[in-house]
Amino acid sequence: MIVFERVTKVYGDNTYALDNVSLRIKKGEFIFLVGPSGAGKSTFVRLLLREDLPTKGRIMVDGVETRQLRTREVPFFRRQIGTVFQDFRLLPERTVSENVAFALQVVEAPRREIYRRVPQVLHLVGLVHKSRSRPAELSGGEQQRVALARALVNNPPILLADEPTGNLDPETAWDIIKLLAEINHRGTTVIVATHEREIVDKMRRRVVKLERGRIVRDQERGAYGSEI
Amino acid sequence: MRFSTWEFYLREAGRSLIRNRFMTLASIATVALSLLILGAFLLGAANLNHIASTLESQVEVSAYLDEKLGPEEIEAISAQVQRLPGIRQVNFVSKEEALERLKEQFGERRDLLTSVEKNNPLRNALEVRTQTPADVKPVVDGLKKLAGVAKVSYKEEIIERLFALTKAIRFTGLAVIILLAGATVFLISNTIRLTVFARRREIAIMKLVGATDWFIRWPFVLEGLCLGLLGSIPALILVVRFYHWLAAGVYETLPFIPLLHPASVLNRLQPLLVGLGILVGALGSAISMHRFLRV
Ligand SMILES: Nc1ncnc2c1ncn2[C@@H]1O[C@H](COP(=O)(O)OP(=O)(O)OP(=O)(O)O)[C@@H](O)[C@H]1O
Ligand SMILES: [Mg+2]
Repeated sequence: MIVFERVTKVYGDNTYALDNVSLRIKKGEFIFLVGPSGAGKSTFVRLLLREDLPTKGRIMVDGVETRQLRTREVPFFRRQIGTVFQDFRLLPERTVSENVAFALQVVEAPRREIYRRVPQVLHLVGLVHKSRSRPAELSGGEQQRVALARALVNNPPILLADEPTGNLDPETAWDIIKLLAEINHRGTTVIVATHEREIVDKMRRRVVKLERGRIVRDQERGAYGSEI
Repeated sequence: MRFSTWEFYLREAGRSLIRNRFMTLASIATVALSLLILGAFLLGAANLNHIASTLESQVEVSAYLDEKLGPEEIEAISAQVQRLPGIRQVNFVSKEEALERLKEQFGERRDLLTSVEKNNPLRNALEVRTQTPADVKPVVDGLKKLAGVAKVSYKEEIIERLFALTKAIRFTGLAVIILLAGATVFLISNTIRLTVFARRREIAIMKLVGATDWFIRWPFVLEGLCLGLLGSIPALILVVRFYHWLAAGVYETLPFIPLLHPASVLNRLQPLLVGLGILVGALGSAISMHRFLRV
């Protein structure tokens, strides 16, 4: 269970990236976070991952408040959230497999597991043939899929994806979304920040719409637009 | 911790050592130079100390006798000496015996002495051992007053000077070593700081996917250890070579100087140098970690 309680994030003096946001996300839910550019979606992601703390309010994951975490505990908190960053954040000097393996090395997975799991997820995102390339040698969409593979490889209970289809052609985008739905079906909580109307409208999942940092709509089986 | 994790750390450390070849080489050279100087000082101090204590165990007073004295007169003086307070033992050493001894000390180079053999310039002497070192002074004074005693000498002065020299060398050695160690630690910490700085983006990403602080730190710690270890190896080789060469030379030409045996000193010196190299490396990375890796 993820709980946002009256969360406000102010950047500088006057930028309310999130403004009094309250939200509950149940275990196993699939939720779209939508809204125009600058609405606060990435800020939401950043706060949930405890990359940053809210200016006001509380964020809790399974009863643990991000602000209460001690420095030592933060890495273990983050390990339960697989994150696809909007800007990918791949390690530029490492190959695709190394980037994915890295998430397993961090949790000290045994070598056998790494050898088994990395090709598996690369296959899942359709990048086996690029496993020896470096991020700079990949297209935007390919980098995005590497980022997704890295987020998935640990089987985290929560998957947080910031614009995971932003750079993909509609067909690949659909494959990725179907993959996310499949993962969600197996019990993972999935949060997808996006402004792709078509996908949101087709999926009919819970939609939370942000505008200038505020939640303007929260709808079960919703669509991108307010009608319906 | 898992083997594969250590392998990962080692690979990371190796990667960054190779990536910063220039700083790596500079650090290794500095460590090597510092340890080399340290080794030279330690060898010097240990040997001087050894020489001084060898001589100390041989403290004795020599009373050189007038040339003209006959055997009975010598006998009489010897008896007088026996009666002085604080005397343990009196030995008569004829000038022929003295020359023999000198030859022995010169060992293979005794040919140097052939010119003096025909006209022995040495004197007959009484060698006196006192009961305690404190008795040396009064005995010397007593001997000087005896008729027939031409000159009294004892080795204490030279020993005192040797000990003073040892102390001075230890002192300057310590100062030099501290300075060098400081410079080395600084250089290593700087090398590692550069690595940390070059990889700050990467470090931030690692943290976001759940790496602990120590997971990030270990490769840097190992990098420092490697720099120290790699630097200690050339230092070790040079010190060992140099001392073997020196010892061989001294045994050959100055056999009466009691140098420490290479095997015994080097056995102790080698682990010390390697240990210090590693310590300096670890210290360097610890400092840069503390200051630059506030993770
Ligand atoms: N580090 C920061 N410093 C100052 N302002 C920031 C910072 N990060 C975000 N903002 C501001 O907060 C607001 C919300 O930004 P955020 O990145 O959350 O938007 P977003 O919904 O993800 O937009 P997009 O769809 O373009 O990714 C924006 O006005 C942005 O300028
Ligand atoms: Mg964003």
